[in-house]
Amino acid sequence: MNDTVLILSVVSAISAGTPILFAALGEIMTERSGVMNLGVDGMMLIGAVTGFWVGVETESAVLALLAGGLAGTLLSLIHAVLAISLRVNQVISGLALVIVGNGLSAFWGNIGGTAADNSADQALVQTKNGVSIDPILPEVLQELPVVGPIVFGHDLVIYFSWALVGAAGYLLYRTQFGLSLRAVGEDPGAADAAGLSVSRFRYVFTLVGGFGAGLGGAYLAVGVIGTWAAGLTAGAGWIAVALVILSGWRPWAALLAAYAFGALRSLGFTLQIAGIEVASDFLAMIPFVATYLVVIVVSANPARARKIASPASLGQPYSREAR
Amino acid sequence: MSKRVSISPRATPPWTVRVVVPTASLIAAAVVGGLMIVMAGNDAFEAYRTVFDSSFNGLRPLTRTMTLATPLILTGLAAAIAFRMKIWNIGAEGQLYMGAVAASGLALTIPPDIPKPLMIVVIILGGAAAGAVWAGLAAIPKAYFNTDEVITTLMLNFVALSFMNYLIFGSTSLWKNPKSAFPQGLLIPGSATMPRISYRLHYGIFIAVGAAVLLWWVFRRTTYGFEVRTVSDSKEASRYAGIGVNSKLISVLTLSGALAGIAGAIEISGVVKRLDPTVLASELGYTGIVVAAVARFNCLGVIPVAVLLAGLVVSGSSLQRLGIPPEIVFLLQGLIFLFVAAGEFFIANKVTITSTVPVQPDASGGLADE
Repeated sequence: MNDTVLILSVVSAISAGTPILFAALGEIMTERSGVMNLGVDGMMLIGAVTGFWVGVETESAVLALLAGGLAGTLLSLIHAVLAISLRVNQVISGLALVIVGNGLSAFWGNIGGTAADNSADQALVQTKNGVSIDPILPEVLQELPVVGPIVFGHDLVIYFSWALVGAAGYLLYRTQFGLSLRAVGEDPGAADAAGLSVSRFRYVFTLVGGFGAGLGGAYLAVGVIGTWAAGLTAGAGWIAVALVILSGWRPWAALLAAYAFGALRSLGFTLQIAGIEVASDFLAMIPFVATYLVVIVVSANPARARKIASPASLGQPYSREAR
Repeated sequence: MSKRVSISPRATPPWTVRVVVPTASLIAAAVVGGLMIVMAGNDAFEAYRTVFDSSFNGLRPLTRTMTLATPLILTGLAAAIAFRMKIWNIGAEGQLYMGAVAASGLALTIPPDIPKPLMIVVIILGGAAAGAVWAGLAAIPKAYFNTDEVITTLMLNFVALSFMNYLIFGSTSLWKNPKSAFPQGLLIPGSATMPRISYRLHYGIFIAVGAAVLLWWVFRRTTYGFEVRTVSDSKEASRYAGIGVNSKLISVLTLSGALAGIAGAIEISGVVKRLDPTVLASELGYTGIVVAAVARFNCLGVIPVAVLLAGLVVSGSSLQRLGIPPEIVFLLQGLIFLFVAAGEFFIANKVTITSTVPVQPDASGGLADE
C-alpha cells in the first residue's frame, strides 16, 4: 500500500464514519439521561428519506440535513412518550421504532418516486439535483501533503461533527447542566429529590438523540451515498448503538470508534484501489463480525467494566410513586 | 373545572382488559395506517378490503396465508420464549438463515433414496441444530460475560445474510446449481420436500402449531418452565433457590434459535426447495418479534397473531396492483407493534379521568400525578 492509498482510505473512513458518529453521539446523550433508544436505525432511515427528499425539492444541503434531523426527532418523540410517560419496556419500544421507521421510510420513499429506477439520475451530490456538499477550506490548505486531505479537505458537516463532539464532552463533564443530566441517568430518585425534573431531562435528550440519528441518516443519504434506497442504512444504526457501548458513553471515544468502523465499512473501496480482491460478501460481513467480537471483548474485561459502566438507571422507567 | 388523571397499577388485569386493549391497539394501527394510505392518494377502505380478499376470503387465499403463517408461528415462538425471560433475541432472522443453509445442505448431501419421513426429520433437526448454534454464539458470551445480546444477535443476522449470499452469489458451493447460467441454488431432491395439504399449504403448519402447544405446556406445567419463569422474575432469588441461572439462560436462547432454525428448514423443505437468499431474506425473523409482542409473549397466542400478520404480508402484492407501495405491509406491522406496546401501559395500569373543581387556582392544569 502506498501513501496515496492510505490517505484515501483514511478520508473515506472519516466520510463513512460520520453518519454513525452523529447517531452514536445522539444516542450517548439519550442514554446518559437513562433512556435507551434502540430505534436508532429506524430514525436514521426516516432522516435519510426525508433529507433526500428535501434535498431534491430545495437543492439546499443545509435544509436537507435539518429536515432529516427533525424527522428523526419526531420519530424519537414516539419513543419518549412510550418509554418515559407510559413506562413501556424500552427494548420493546425501541424495536417498534425500528420497524416503524423502516416501514415508513420504505413506504414514503416509494411514493415520492425518489427510489426511482435510475439512480444515476437521482444522485444528489453529482447531478442537477445539485445539493453539493463541498470542501470549504482554502485550496492552499487542502493541497498540503497528508494533512491536506485528512484534516483540511472535508465538507462543513464533518467539521460540524467535530465541534459537536467537543460540545457534547464539554456539556457532559464541565457544566452544571451536564452534571444534572448525568445525575438523572445515574440516580433519578436523587436527581428528583434535588429538584430536577427527571422526565423533562429524559424527554429533551431522547429528542436530542433522535435529531442526531436523523441528521446522521440524512448525511448518509445526501452526503455519503448520494441517493435513497429502502433500507439504505444497512444496519448502520445498530452499529451506532454498539458504538455507544464500546465508547463507554464518552463522545471523544465515539469519534475514534466511528472512524474505525467507517474504515471497516469502506474497506472494500480501500482494497479495490490497493488492487486486492476479496469476496464482496466477506467484505460486507467485516464490520458486523468486528462489532460482535469487540462487544464481547469489552464485556469480558472486568477492569473496564468496573471503570466504565453504563448509566446506572439505563433502560429503567422512573416513577416517583415507586421510589 | 379541571381534569384530573389518576394512574393506579392493576395487580391482575381482568381478561376483558387483556382482550379489549390489544383490540383497540389493532384498530388504532389500522386507522393510522389508513390515514397514511389516504395521504398517499389511495382509498383506505378499498385497501383493507383487498387485504381481506387476498388473504382470508376463500380456500386459496387462506392456504397462502397459512403457508406464510407457518414460519411466523415458529419465529414468533422463538421471540416469545426468549423475550418472556427478558433475553432480547433479535437474531431469529439470522438463525432462520442458518437453519435454511443447514437443511438445504443436508438435503443435498444425504442419499436421496432414503425414506421421505426420515429425510424430513433429519433436515429439520439439522436446521434446529444450526439455529441453536447460531444463537449459542450470543448465548455463551451473555452467560459468561453478560455481553449485550441485543447487539450480538443482531450483528450475527448480518453475518448470516452475507454468508448465505456468499454460498450462492459469491462461490461455487455445494448449494449452488452448477448448470444454471445465473447464480441459483440447487433444487433439493423430492424426498426432502414436505408433502402438501392443499394448494401450496404443506404439513409444516402442523409442526408449527404442535411446537406452540408443546412450548405452552412446557412453560406452564413443567419444573423446567417454572424455573425459567423464576429466573426471569429474579436472578438473585433463583440463585438462592439453587436454580442454575446460566444454564437456563443458555438453554432458552439456544431453544429460541432452534425454533428459528426449524422455521428456516421448513421453508426450504415446504416452500423454497432450494437455498434462495433473496426469497429467504423476507424479514420472517423480525416479523416474529412483532408476532410475539402482539401475542403478549404467550405461546398459544402466537398462533392467531401469526395468521393475522401473515395475511397482511400476503396481501402486499395485491395492494401493489392498486398502486399502493407494498411497503405498506411493513409500515402497518410497525404501527401494530407500536400501538400494542403502548397498550401495555393501559393493561398494567388503571387510568381514570375525573373532573374536579380546583380548590386553589394554581392547582389547575393537566397531569397532576406525574
